Amino acid sequence: MPMKGRFPIRRTLEYLQKGEVVFKKSVNIMTVNYNTHGDLSEGARKFVFFNIPQIQYKNPWVQIMMFKNMTPSPFLRFYLDDGEQVLVDVEGKDHKEIMNHVKTILGKSDKVLEAEALAKMELSNPANFGPKRYFLRECISEVEGQVPHPGFVPLPKEMTGKYRAKLAAASDE
Amino acid sequence: MSTRQASVHAKWIIGQVIGTKMKKTAKVRVTRLVLDPYLLKYYNKRKTYFAHDPLEQCTVGDVVLLKALPEKRSKHVNHELEEIVYKVGQVVDPLTGKRVAGKQYLEPLTESTEVSLTEKLEQLNITASTPPSVS
Repeated sequence: MPMKGRFPIRRTLEYLQKGEVVFKKSVNIMTVNYNTHGDLSEGARKFVFFNIPQIQYKNPWVQIMMFKNMTPSPFLRFYLDDGEQVLVDVEGKDHKEIMNHVKTILGKSDKVLEAEALAKMELSNPANFGPKRYFLRECISEVEGQVPHPGFVPLPKEMTGKYRAKLAAASDE
Repeated sequence: MSTRQASVHAKWIIGQVIGTKMKKTAKVRVTRLVLDPYLLKYYNKRKTYFAHDPLEQCTVGDVVLLKALPEKRSKHVNHELEEIVYKVGQVVDPLTGKRVAGKQYLEPLTESTEVSLTEKLEQLNITASTPPSVS
C-alpha cells in the first residue's frame, strides 16, 4: 500500500535527515514571502514545499514563518542575533539554487559539520559497556565469540564451578 | 523560586498582533512549525506572547518582531516590541522600498519623467475656437 498524498517522500525520516542546510548559531528566525500564483514565485513555492521541512528538521530552534501574497516579488528574510537582517531575493530562481545560496551564506560549511560529528563520536566510546541507553553493549557476553551467559546457554561441564571444585578436591587427595 | 537572570529561551520572535486592548502591551501570536510524530509533517503551533509597546503603535494584524527583555517586566510580559515588520494595509516591499498591496505596487516603480498632458497642451498653444453649432 503506497503512502498517501503527493510526494509523500517528503514525510520520511530519511528525506528529512538528508537536509543539507544547518544554520549557524546566530540565525534565529527565517521568513519566506512568496506568491501562490505566477511563474516568478515557482522556485520559492517548490522551496517551501520540498525544502522547508528539511531545514526545520535540522534546525529545530529556528522559527520559520511563511507569508503568502503580501508582496509582488518573493524573498527570504533571516533575522540574526544583534538585530541584523539578511534579505535574499528569490525571484525566478530554482529551489535547488535557493538552497545552495542559503547554504553558502548562512549555513555551516561541510568541514564544520564533519568536525562537529567527529566531536560527537568522540564523546561516546563504543568500547565501553553499560546501560543500553548510553552504551552499545551491557556485558562482554553479548559479543559474538565470547562466552555467553549460562542463563541462555548452559556452560560446558569443564567450565562450571562445581566440576572444577570437584577436580581440585580429587587432585588434592 | 525566582529565576531572574535570563528571562526566556526565545530571544527574537516574529508574530502577528492579535490584541491591543491592554495599555502599552500588545498580544502577539507566534507560530512555530512542529513535527507530527506519526505523520512526519510540519504543522503550525500557536503560542501567545505579551510584548511591551510603549508608544502603542501596533494595530491588530501587524506582523511584529519582538526582542526578549533582559528582565521580566511583569508576570507575563517578557518581550518588547523591536520593529513592526509588515504594518496592516501599509506593507512596504523591502526589495524596492515602495508600498505594496498583494501583487501590485501602489507607488510607481520608476519616477516618470514624461511631461503631463496639460503641459503638453500649453506648449502647443491651441486656443479654444467657437464650438460648432448643432445641426
